[in-house]
Amino acid sequence: MSKLVLKFENSVLTEVPMGAKEVSIGRSPDNGLVIDNPAVSHYHARVFNEDGRLMLEDFGSMNGTFVNGQRVKMISLKPGDSVVIGKHSILIADSREIPNAFPVNGGAKAAPKINETVMLDTKERREFLQKVSAVGESAQVAPARVKVATLVVRKGRTDQREYILSNKLTVIGKSAMATVKLKGWFAPKAAAQITRRDDNSYHISGAGNVPTVNGQPVIHTAQLSPGDVIAVAGIELEFICRE
Amino acid sequence: MEIEFGARTDTGRVRENNEDSFRAAPELNLFVLSDGMGGQASGEVASRLAAETIVAHSRDAETNPSLPLTGESIEGASDAANRLASAIRLANRAVHRAALKNASQLGMGATVVAVQFADDRMIVAHVGDSRAYRLRNGELEQLTQDHSFIAEQVRLGMMTPEEGSQSKLQNVLLRALGTDPQVDVDVNEELLIEGDTLLLCSDGLTHEVAGAQIAAVLCDADDAQEAADDLVRLANQAGGGDNITVIVLRHAPKLVGAMAKIGRWFKSS
Repeated sequence: MSKLVLKFENSVLTEVPMGAKEVSIGRSPDNGLVIDNPAVSHYHARVFNEDGRLMLEDFGSMNGTFVNGQRVKMISLKPGDSVVIGKHSILIADSREIPNAFPVNGGAKAAPKINETVMLDTKERREFLQKVSAVGESAQVAPARVKVATLVVRKGRTDQREYILSNKLTVIGKSAMATVKLKGWFAPKAAAQITRRDDNSYHISGAGNVPTVNGQPVIHTAQLSPGDVIAVAGIELEFICRE
Repeated sequence: MEIEFGARTDTGRVRENNEDSFRAAPELNLFVLSDGMGGQASGEVASRLAAETIVAHSRDAETNPSLPLTGESIEGASDAANRLASAIRLANRAVHRAALKNASQLGMGATVVAVQFADDRMIVAHVGDSRAYRLRNGELEQLTQDHSFIAEQVRLGMMTPEEGSQSKLQNVLLRALGTDPQVDVDVNEELLIEGDTLLLCSDGLTHEVAGAQIAAVLCDADDAQEAADDLVRLANQAGGGDNITVIVLRHAPKLVGAMAKIGRWFKSS
Protein backbone atom coordinates (compact mmCIF):
# COMPACT_ATOMS: atom_id res chain seq x y z
CA MET A 1 0.00 0.00 0.00
CA SER A 2 1.24 3.47 -0.80
CA LYS A 3 1.49 6.48 1.40
CA LEU A 4 2.00 10.19 0.84
CA VAL A 5 4.89 11.59 2.85
CA LEU A 6 4.75 15.37 3.36
CA LYS A 7 8.16 16.97 3.73
CA PHE A 8 9.49 20.46 4.26
CA GLU A 9 13.16 20.73 3.39
CA ASN A 10 14.57 17.53 4.81
CA SER A 11 12.04 16.92 7.56
CA VAL A 12 8.97 14.74 7.46
CA LEU A 13 5.91 16.62 8.73
CA THR A 14 3.28 13.92 8.40
CA GLU A 15 2.22 10.92 6.35
CA VAL A 16 -1.14 9.92 4.91
CA PRO A 17 -1.89 6.38 3.76
CA MET A 18 -3.30 6.05 0.24
CA GLY A 19 -6.22 3.68 0.52
CA ALA A 20 -9.08 3.24 -1.92
CA LYS A 21 -10.36 6.77 -1.28
CA GLU A 22 -8.81 9.85 -2.84
CA VAL A 23 -6.72 12.24 -0.77
CA SER A 24 -7.30 15.94 -1.36
CA ILE A 25 -4.39 18.31 -0.79
CA GLY A 26 -4.55 21.98 0.13
CA ARG A 27 -4.47 24.69 2.75
CA SER A 28 -8.04 24.21 3.94
CA PRO A 29 -8.24 22.05 7.10
CA ASP A 30 -10.85 19.75 5.57
CA ASN A 31 -8.35 18.30 3.12
CA GLY A 32 -6.94 14.80 3.57
CA LEU A 33 -3.44 16.26 3.49
CA VAL A 34 -3.27 19.77 4.91
CA ILE A 35 -0.37 22.02 3.93
CA ASP A 36 -0.55 25.25 5.85
CA ASN A 37 1.39 27.67 3.67
CA PRO A 38 0.35 30.83 1.77
CA ALA A 39 1.78 29.46 -1.49
CA VAL A 40 -0.71 26.60 -1.38
CA SER A 41 -4.29 27.03 -2.61
CA HIS A 42 -7.17 26.08 -0.33
CA TYR A 43 -8.00 23.15 -2.58
CA HIS A 44 -4.82 22.64 -4.51
CA ALA A 45 -4.74 19.11 -5.89
CA ARG A 46 -5.74 15.52 -5.25
CA VAL A 47 -4.26 12.03 -5.44
CA PHE A 48 -6.60 9.18 -6.37
CA ASN A 49 -6.64 5.62 -7.68
CA GLU A 50 -7.71 4.86 -11.24
CA ASP A 51 -7.51 1.39 -12.80
CA GLY A 52 -4.86 0.35 -10.29
CA ARG A 53 -2.70 3.41 -10.91
CA LEU A 54 -2.09 6.33 -8.59
CA MET A 55 -3.09 9.62 -10.25
CA LEU A 56 -2.41 13.24 -9.38
CA GLU A 57 -4.65 16.08 -10.49
CA ASP A 58 -3.98 19.79 -9.96
CA PHE A 59 -7.18 21.81 -9.42
CA GLY A 60 -5.95 24.76 -11.49
CA SER A 61 -4.04 26.11 -8.50
CA MET A 62 -2.34 29.48 -8.57
CA ASN A 63 1.22 28.26 -8.04
CA GLY A 64 0.88 24.87 -9.67
CA THR A 65 1.92 21.34 -8.80
CA PHE A 66 5.23 19.94 -10.03
CA VAL A 67 6.05 16.25 -10.51
CA ASN A 68 9.75 15.43 -10.98
CA GLY A 69 10.32 19.08 -11.91
CA GLN A 70 7.51 19.46 -14.47
CA ARG A 71 4.34 21.45 -13.85
CA VAL A 72 1.37 19.11 -14.36
CA LYS A 73 -2.41 19.11 -14.63
CA MET A 74 -3.07 15.36 -14.51
CA ILE A 75 -0.47 12.62 -14.37
CA SER A 76 0.05 9.10 -13.06
CA LEU A 77 2.44 8.61 -10.14
CA LYS A 78 4.82 5.82 -9.18
CA PRO A 79 6.78 5.17 -5.98
CA GLY A 80 9.80 7.44 -5.81
CA ASP A 81 8.15 10.27 -7.76
CA SER A 82 8.64 13.68 -6.20
CA VAL A 83 5.65 16.02 -6.06
CA VAL A 84 6.34 19.66 -5.18
CA ILE A 85 3.72 22.16 -4.05
CA GLY A 86 5.19 25.53 -3.10
CA LYS A 87 8.06 24.82 -0.72
CA HIS A 88 6.69 21.45 0.39
CA SER A 89 7.33 18.12 -1.25
CA ILE A 90 5.25 14.97 -1.20
CA LEU A 91 6.96 11.63 -1.67
CA ILE A 92 5.10 8.56 -2.84
CA ALA A 93 6.36 5.76 -0.65
CA ASP A 94 5.49 2.28 0.49
CA SER A 95 3.58 1.89 3.75
CA ARG A 96 5.98 -0.79 4.81
CA GLU A 97 9.71 -0.38 5.13
CA ILE A 98 9.89 -4.09 4.30
CA PRO A 99 7.42 -4.47 1.43
CA ASN A 100 5.62 -7.73 0.71
CA ALA A 101 6.42 -8.88 4.21
CA PHE A 102 4.71 -11.98 5.46
CA PRO A 103 3.87 -12.26 9.14
CA VAL A 104 6.83 -13.13 11.36
CA ASN A 105 4.80 -15.93 12.99
CA GLY A 106 4.83 -17.80 9.67
CA GLY A 107 1.38 -17.53 8.22
CA ALA A 108 -0.84 -16.26 11.03
CA LYS A 109 -3.33 -13.99 9.31
CA ALA A 110 -3.48 -11.00 11.62
CA ALA A 111 -2.06 -10.35 15.07
CA PRO A 112 -3.97 -12.36 17.68
CA LYS A 113 -6.89 -10.55 19.31
CA ILE A 114 -5.06 -10.42 22.62
CA ASN A 115 -2.60 -7.90 21.21
CA GLU A 116 -5.28 -5.49 20.09
CA THR A 117 -5.36 -2.40 22.24
CA VAL A 118 -8.56 -2.20 24.22
CA MET A 119 -9.93 0.40 26.52
CA LEU A 120 -11.56 -0.32 29.85
CA ASP A 121 -14.49 1.97 30.39
CA THR A 122 -15.08 3.62 33.76
CA LYS A 123 -17.35 0.83 35.05
CA GLU A 124 -14.96 -1.95 33.98
CA ARG A 125 -12.04 -0.06 35.43
CA ARG A 126 -13.80 0.31 38.78
CA GLU A 127 -14.58 -3.42 38.80
CA PHE A 128 -11.00 -4.32 37.96
CA LEU A 129 -9.61 -2.08 40.67
CA GLN A 130 -12.11 -3.36 43.22
CA LYS A 131 -11.03 -6.94 42.57
CA VAL A 132 -7.44 -5.88 42.94
CA SER A 133 -7.89 -3.87 46.12
CA ALA A 134 -9.68 -6.80 47.74
CA VAL A 135 -6.25 -8.41 48.01
CA GLY A 136 -5.36 -6.02 50.79
CA GLU A 137 -3.70 -2.81 49.55
CA SER A 138 -5.98 0.13 49.01
CA ALA A 139 -5.87 1.23 45.42
CA GLN A 140 -5.30 4.91 44.87
CA VAL A 141 -7.92 5.94 42.37
CA ALA A 142 -8.17 9.65 43.09
CA PRO A 143 -5.22 12.04 43.30
CA ALA A 144 -3.85 12.68 46.79
CA ARG A 145 -5.53 15.40 48.84
CA VAL A 146 -3.98 18.70 47.87
CA LYS A 147 -1.30 19.81 50.29
CA VAL A 148 0.77 22.95 50.02
CA ALA A 149 4.32 21.90 49.24
CA THR A 150 7.03 24.31 50.32
CA LEU A 151 10.81 24.54 50.04
CA VAL A 152 12.54 26.00 53.08
CA VAL A 153 16.09 27.27 52.55
CA ARG A 154 18.42 25.75 55.15
CA LYS A 155 21.76 26.84 53.68
CA GLY A 156 23.02 29.11 50.94
CA ARG A 157 22.12 32.38 49.25
CA THR A 158 18.76 32.72 47.56
CA ASP A 159 16.30 35.55 47.07
CA GLN A 160 13.76 34.20 49.59
CA ARG A 161 13.76 32.03 52.74
CA GLU A 162 10.78 29.93 51.63
CA TYR A 163 9.14 29.04 48.34
CA ILE A 164 5.64 27.70 47.91
CA LEU A 165 5.59 25.18 45.07
CA SER A 166 2.38 26.27 43.38
CA ASN A 167 3.55 25.83 39.80
CA LYS A 168 3.82 22.70 37.72
CA LEU A 169 7.43 23.59 37.01
CA THR A 170 9.78 25.20 39.52
CA VAL A 171 13.30 26.04 38.42
CA ILE A 172 16.28 26.43 40.75
CA GLY A 173 18.88 28.66 39.15
CA LYS A 174 19.95 32.13 38.18
CA SER A 175 17.93 32.65 35.00
CA ALA A 176 14.87 34.87 34.72
CA MET A 177 12.56 31.87 34.71
CA ALA A 178 13.93 30.51 38.00
CA THR A 179 11.64 30.61 41.02
CA VAL A 180 14.34 29.72 43.52
CA LYS A 181 16.84 32.36 42.50
CA LEU A 182 20.45 31.54 43.22
CA LYS A 183 22.84 34.36 44.03
CA GLY A 184 26.48 34.55 43.11
CA TRP A 185 28.56 35.03 39.99
CA PHE A 186 29.06 31.36 39.33
CA ALA A 187 25.51 30.23 39.97
CA PRO A 188 24.21 28.23 36.99
CA LYS A 189 21.29 29.52 34.91
CA ALA A 190 19.38 26.33 35.67
CA ALA A 191 20.69 23.90 38.27
CA ALA A 192 17.63 21.73 38.85
CA GLN A 193 13.90 21.54 38.33
CA ILE A 194 11.01 20.37 40.51
CA THR A 195 7.86 19.29 38.70
CA ARG A 196 4.41 18.70 40.12
CA ARG A 197 2.65 15.79 38.44
CA ASP A 198 -1.00 15.03 37.83
CA ASP A 199 -1.32 13.18 41.11
CA ASN A 200 0.21 16.13 43.02
CA SER A 201 3.47 14.31 43.66
CA TYR A 202 6.70 16.29 43.33
CA HIS A 203 9.79 15.17 41.47
CA ILE A 204 13.26 16.66 41.21
CA SER A 205 15.67 16.38 38.25
CA GLY A 206 19.06 17.89 37.63
CA ALA A 207 19.33 20.41 34.81
CA GLY A 208 22.93 21.53 34.82
CA ASN A 209 23.94 20.02 38.14
CA VAL A 210 23.33 16.70 39.91
CA PRO A 211 21.21 17.34 42.99
CA THR A 212 21.32 15.12 46.05
CA VAL A 213 18.30 14.17 48.12
CA ASN A 214 19.23 13.19 51.68
CA GLY A 215 22.79 12.77 50.45
CA GLN A 216 21.88 10.46 47.56
CA PRO A 217 22.61 11.76 44.04
CA VAL A 218 19.54 11.93 41.85
CA ILE A 219 19.72 9.68 38.78
CA HIS A 220 17.33 11.21 36.26
CA THR A 221 14.40 12.04 38.51
CA ALA A 222 13.49 11.34 42.13
CA GLN A 223 10.20 11.71 43.92
CA LEU A 224 10.27 14.01 46.95
CA SER A 225 8.81 13.06 50.33
CA PRO A 226 8.08 15.47 53.17
CA GLY A 227 11.25 16.12 55.18
CA ASP A 228 13.63 15.39 52.29
CA VAL A 229 16.70 17.63 52.17
CA ILE A 230 17.81 18.71 48.73
CA ALA A 231 21.33 19.92 48.06
CA VAL A 232 22.31 21.50 44.75
CA ALA A 233 24.58 24.29 43.51
CA GLY A 234 25.72 25.19 47.01
CA ILE A 235 22.29 25.50 48.62
CA GLU A 236 20.23 23.22 50.85
CA LEU A 237 16.46 23.10 50.79
CA GLU A 238 14.01 21.14 52.91
CA PHE A 239 10.86 19.85 51.19
CA ILE A 240 7.84 20.31 53.47
CA CYS A 241 4.14 19.64 53.06
CA ARG A 242 1.76 21.77 55.04
CA GLU A 243 -1.94 20.83 55.18
CA MET B 1 15.07 27.91 20.35
CA GLU B 2 16.50 25.53 17.78
CA ILE B 3 14.66 22.25 17.50
CA GLU B 4 15.87 19.77 14.92
CA PHE B 5 13.37 17.03 14.23
CA GLY B 6 12.90 13.78 12.32
CA ALA B 7 9.88 11.51 12.08
CA ARG B 8 8.96 8.15 10.64
CA THR B 9 5.98 5.85 10.69
CA ASP B 10 5.68 2.30 9.39
CA THR B 11 2.96 -0.33 9.27
CA GLY B 12 5.37 -2.91 10.67
CA ARG B 13 5.50 -6.52 9.47
CA VAL B 14 2.35 -8.03 10.91
CA ARG B 15 -0.53 -5.54 10.83
CA GLU B 16 -2.68 -5.01 7.75
CA ASN B 17 -2.65 -1.23 7.91
CA ASN B 18 -1.12 1.67 9.81
CA GLU B 19 -3.37 3.16 12.48
CA ASP B 20 -0.69 5.46 13.88
CA SER B 21 -0.62 9.12 12.86
CA PHE B 22 1.77 11.93 13.56
CA ARG B 23 1.98 15.60 12.80
CA ALA B 24 5.10 17.79 13.05
CA ALA B 25 4.26 21.49 13.09
CA PRO B 26 7.65 23.16 13.60
CA GLU B 27 6.24 26.64 12.92
CA LEU B 28 4.15 26.13 16.07
CA ASN B 29 6.92 24.26 17.95
CA LEU B 30 4.40 21.45 18.31
CA PHE B 31 4.83 17.72 17.65
CA VAL B 32 2.03 15.20 18.00
CA LEU B 33 1.82 11.41 17.77
CA SER B 34 -1.30 9.25 18.04
CA ASP B 35 -1.96 5.49 18.01
CA GLY B 36 -5.50 4.58 16.97
CA MET B 37 -7.65 1.60 17.90
CA GLY B 38 -10.98 0.22 16.72
CA GLY B 39 -12.34 -2.27 14.24
CA GLN B 40 -12.43 -1.95 10.45
CA ALA B 41 -9.49 0.45 10.22
CA SER B 42 -11.36 3.07 12.26
CA GLY B 43 -8.19 3.39 14.34
CA GLU B 44 -6.67 5.22 11.39
CA VAL B 45 -9.57 7.68 11.40
CA ALA B 46 -9.31 8.22 15.15
CA SER B 47 -5.56 8.89 15.25
CA ARG B 48 -5.57 11.20 12.25
CA LEU B 49 -8.54 13.16 13.60
CA ALA B 50 -6.82 13.47 16.97
CA ALA B 51 -3.52 14.72 15.53
CA GLU B 52 -5.15 17.17 13.11
CA THR B 53 -7.52 18.59 15.72
CA ILE B 54 -4.68 19.26 18.15
CA VAL B 55 -2.60 21.05 15.53
CA ALA B 56 -5.58 23.02 14.18
CA HIS B 57 -6.56 24.28 17.63
CA SER B 58 -2.98 25.26 18.43
CA ARG B 59 -2.78 27.11 15.13
CA ASP B 60 -6.04 28.97 15.90
CA ALA B 61 -4.79 29.87 19.39
CA GLU B 62 -1.54 31.21 17.94
CA THR B 63 -3.41 33.78 15.83
CA ASN B 64 -6.03 34.32 18.52
CA PRO B 65 -4.51 33.97 22.00
CA SER B 66 -7.77 34.87 23.74
CA LEU B 67 -9.46 31.79 22.28
CA PRO B 68 -11.34 30.20 25.17
CA LEU B 69 -9.91 27.03 26.70
CA THR B 70 -11.76 23.75 26.56
CA GLY B 71 -12.16 22.36 30.05
CA GLU B 72 -10.79 23.49 33.40
CA SER B 73 -7.63 25.55 33.59
CA ILE B 74 -4.83 23.67 35.39
CA GLU B 75 -3.62 25.52 38.46
CA GLY B 76 0.01 26.53 38.41
CA ALA B 77 0.41 25.53 34.78
CA SER B 78 1.78 27.88 32.15
CA ASP B 79 -0.41 29.24 29.34
CA ALA B 80 1.26 26.91 26.88
CA ALA B 81 0.46 23.90 29.07
CA ASN B 82 -3.17 24.90 29.44
CA ARG B 83 -3.42 25.50 25.72
CA LEU B 84 -2.05 22.06 24.86
CA ALA B 85 -4.36 20.37 27.37
CA SER B 86 -7.25 22.28 25.81
CA ALA B 87 -6.30 21.11 22.33
CA ILE B 88 -6.17 17.50 23.47
CA ARG B 89 -9.57 17.74 25.18
CA LEU B 90 -10.97 19.14 21.94
CA ALA B 91 -9.45 16.22 20.06
CA ASN B 92 -11.12 13.87 22.51
CA ARG B 93 -14.50 15.44 21.79
CA ALA B 94 -13.92 15.27 18.04
CA VAL B 95 -13.05 11.58 18.10
CA HIS B 96 -15.89 10.81 20.50
CA ARG B 97 -18.44 12.59 18.29
CA ALA B 98 -17.14 10.94 15.14
CA ALA B 99 -17.31 7.54 16.82
CA LEU B 100 -20.99 8.03 17.59
CA LYS B 101 -21.87 9.22 14.10
CA ASN B 102 -20.64 6.22 12.17
CA ALA B 103 -21.59 2.62 12.91
CA SER B 104 -18.25 1.34 11.66
CA GLN B 105 -16.42 3.76 13.95
CA LEU B 106 -18.25 2.94 17.16
CA GLY B 107 -15.81 2.45 20.02
CA MET B 108 -12.85 3.85 18.13
CA GLY B 109 -10.22 5.64 20.14
CA ALA B 110 -6.65 6.82 20.13
CA THR B 111 -3.72 7.53 22.37
CA VAL B 112 -1.82 10.77 22.08
CA VAL B 113 1.56 12.10 23.15
CA ALA B 114 2.49 15.67 22.28
CA VAL B 115 5.35 18.04 22.95
CA GLN B 116 5.04 21.83 22.79
CA PHE B 117 8.14 24.00 23.10
CA ALA B 118 7.72 27.43 24.68
CA ASP B 119 10.40 29.86 25.90
CA ASP B 120 12.89 27.78 27.85
CA ARG B 121 10.58 24.95 28.72
CA MET B 122 8.70 22.17 27.09
CA ILE B 123 5.22 20.87 27.75
CA VAL B 124 4.68 17.13 27.51
CA ALA B 125 1.09 15.94 27.43
CA HIS B 126 -0.32 12.47 26.90
CA VAL B 127 -3.31 10.19 27.16
CA GLY B 128 -2.75 6.45 26.84
CA ASP B 129 0.41 4.40 26.40
CA SER B 130 2.29 6.23 23.68
CA ARG B 131 5.40 7.64 25.33
CA ALA B 132 7.83 10.53 25.59
CA TYR B 133 11.46 9.88 26.51
CA ARG B 134 14.33 12.26 27.19
CA LEU B 135 17.98 11.52 26.48
CA ARG B 136 20.22 13.70 28.61
CA ASN B 137 23.95 13.13 29.10
CA GLY B 138 23.65 9.82 27.32
CA GLU B 139 20.94 8.53 29.68
CA LEU B 140 17.40 7.70 28.54
CA GLU B 141 14.50 8.53 30.85
CA GLN B 142 10.78 7.85 30.31
CA LEU B 143 8.94 11.12 30.93
CA THR B 144 5.38 9.83 30.75
CA GLN B 145 3.57 7.22 32.88
CA ASP B 146 1.50 4.85 30.73
CA HIS B 147 -2.24 5.00 31.30
CA SER B 148 -2.44 1.25 31.04
CA PHE B 149 -3.77 -1.38 33.40
CA ILE B 150 -0.34 -2.98 33.73
CA ALA B 151 1.43 0.29 34.49
CA GLU B 152 -1.11 1.12 37.15
CA GLN B 153 -0.73 -2.32 38.74
CA VAL B 154 3.05 -1.88 38.83
CA ARG B 155 2.73 1.65 40.22
CA LEU B 156 0.44 0.43 42.99
CA GLY B 157 2.90 -2.34 43.82
CA MET B 158 0.46 -5.11 42.87
CA MET B 159 2.86 -6.40 40.22
CA THR B 160 6.60 -6.19 39.58
CA PRO B 161 7.79 -4.62 36.31
CA GLU B 162 8.95 -8.09 35.18
CA GLU B 163 5.52 -9.61 35.82
CA GLY B 164 4.06 -6.63 33.99
CA SER B 165 6.09 -7.23 30.86
CA GLN B 166 5.03 -10.89 30.85
CA SER B 167 1.36 -10.18 31.33
CA LYS B 168 -1.15 -10.93 28.59
CA LEU B 169 -2.93 -7.69 29.40
CA GLN B 170 -0.26 -5.50 27.82
CA ASN B 171 -2.60 -3.44 25.71
CA VAL B 172 -5.41 -2.73 28.14
CA LEU B 173 -5.71 1.02 28.45
CA LEU B 174 -7.33 2.97 31.25
CA ARG B 175 -7.44 6.25 29.35
CA ALA B 176 -7.82 7.03 25.66
CA LEU B 177 -9.19 9.74 23.41
CA GLY B 178 -12.68 9.20 22.05
CA THR B 179 -14.13 6.67 24.45
CA ASP B 180 -15.63 9.17 26.92
CA PRO B 181 -16.95 12.68 26.33
CA GLN B 182 -14.43 13.98 28.92
CA VAL B 183 -10.82 12.97 29.34
CA ASP B 184 -8.12 13.65 31.90
CA VAL B 185 -5.05 14.90 30.08
CA ASP B 186 -1.73 14.24 31.80
CA VAL B 187 0.34 17.41 31.38
CA ASN B 188 3.84 18.11 32.64
CA GLU B 189 6.33 20.90 32.20
CA GLU B 190 10.01 20.26 31.88
CA LEU B 191 13.11 22.37 31.56
CA LEU B 192 14.89 22.03 28.27
CA ILE B 193 18.67 22.27 28.26
CA GLU B 194 21.06 22.31 25.33
CA GLY B 195 21.86 18.87 24.05
CA ASP B 196 18.58 17.31 25.21
CA THR B 197 17.05 14.84 22.78
CA LEU B 198 13.37 13.93 23.01
CA LEU B 199 11.65 10.89 21.58
CA LEU B 200 7.92 10.45 21.05
CA CYS B 201 6.90 6.93 20.13
CA SER B 202 4.02 4.50 19.85
CA ASP B 203 4.24 1.16 21.66
CA GLY B 204 5.17 -0.55 18.40
CA LEU B 205 8.71 0.69 19.07
CA THR B 206 9.02 -0.09 22.76
CA HIS B 207 7.49 -3.56 22.48
CA GLU B 208 10.31 -4.54 20.12
CA VAL B 209 13.34 -2.45 21.04
CA ALA B 210 14.90 -2.15 24.51
CA GLY B 211 15.74 1.16 26.15
CA ALA B 212 19.48 0.62 25.90
CA GLN B 213 19.25 0.15 22.13
CA ILE B 214 17.04 3.21 21.75
CA ALA B 215 19.57 5.27 23.72
CA ALA B 216 22.42 3.97 21.55
CA VAL B 217 20.62 4.94 18.33
CA LEU B 218 19.81 8.42 19.64
CA CYS B 219 23.43 8.95 20.70
CA ASP B 220 25.02 7.65 17.50
CA ALA B 221 22.82 9.05 14.74
CA ASP B 222 24.09 12.03 12.74
CA ASP B 223 20.75 13.78 12.76
CA ALA B 224 17.22 13.42 14.00
CA GLN B 225 15.79 12.00 10.76
CA GLU B 226 18.50 9.34 10.64
CA ALA B 227 17.72 8.43 14.27
CA ALA B 228 14.01 8.11 13.45
CA ASP B 229 14.72 5.91 10.41
CA ASP B 230 17.12 3.72 12.40
CA LEU B 231 14.63 3.18 15.21
CA VAL B 232 11.92 2.04 12.81
CA ARG B 233 14.38 -0.27 11.06
CA LEU B 234 15.39 -1.81 14.42
CA ALA B 235 11.78 -2.36 15.42
CA ASN B 236 11.04 -4.10 12.12
CA GLN B 237 14.14 -6.26 12.40
CA ALA B 238 13.04 -7.32 15.86
CA GLY B 239 9.65 -8.43 14.56
CA GLY B 240 7.57 -5.37 13.67
CA GLY B 241 4.53 -6.78 15.45
CA ASP B 242 2.66 -3.49 15.55
CA ASN B 243 2.63 -0.13 13.76
CA ILE B 244 5.75 1.87 14.61
CA THR B 245 5.91 5.65 14.83
CA VAL B 246 8.70 7.83 16.19
CA ILE B 247 9.42 11.53 16.36
CA VAL B 248 12.96 12.53 17.37
CA LEU B 249 13.60 16.07 18.56
CA ARG B 250 16.99 17.58 19.32
CA HIS B 251 17.57 20.84 21.10
CA ALA B 252 20.79 22.11 19.63
CA PRO B 253 21.76 25.20 17.72
CA LYS B 254 21.93 24.47 13.99
CA LEU B 255 25.39 24.42 12.50
CA VAL B 256 25.35 25.91 9.02
CA GLY B 257 27.50 25.01 6.00
CA ALA B 258 31.20 24.63 6.72
CA MET B 259 30.70 24.59 10.46
CA ALA B 260 28.32 21.64 10.05
CA LYS B 261 30.95 19.69 8.14
CA ILE B 262 33.57 20.39 10.79
CA GLY B 263 31.09 19.41 13.48
CA ARG B 264 30.46 16.06 11.80
CA TRP B 265 34.17 15.41 11.34
CA PHE B 266 34.79 15.87 15.05
CA LYS B 267 31.91 13.56 15.86
CA SER B 268 33.07 10.67 13.70
CA SER B 269 36.76 10.79 14.63
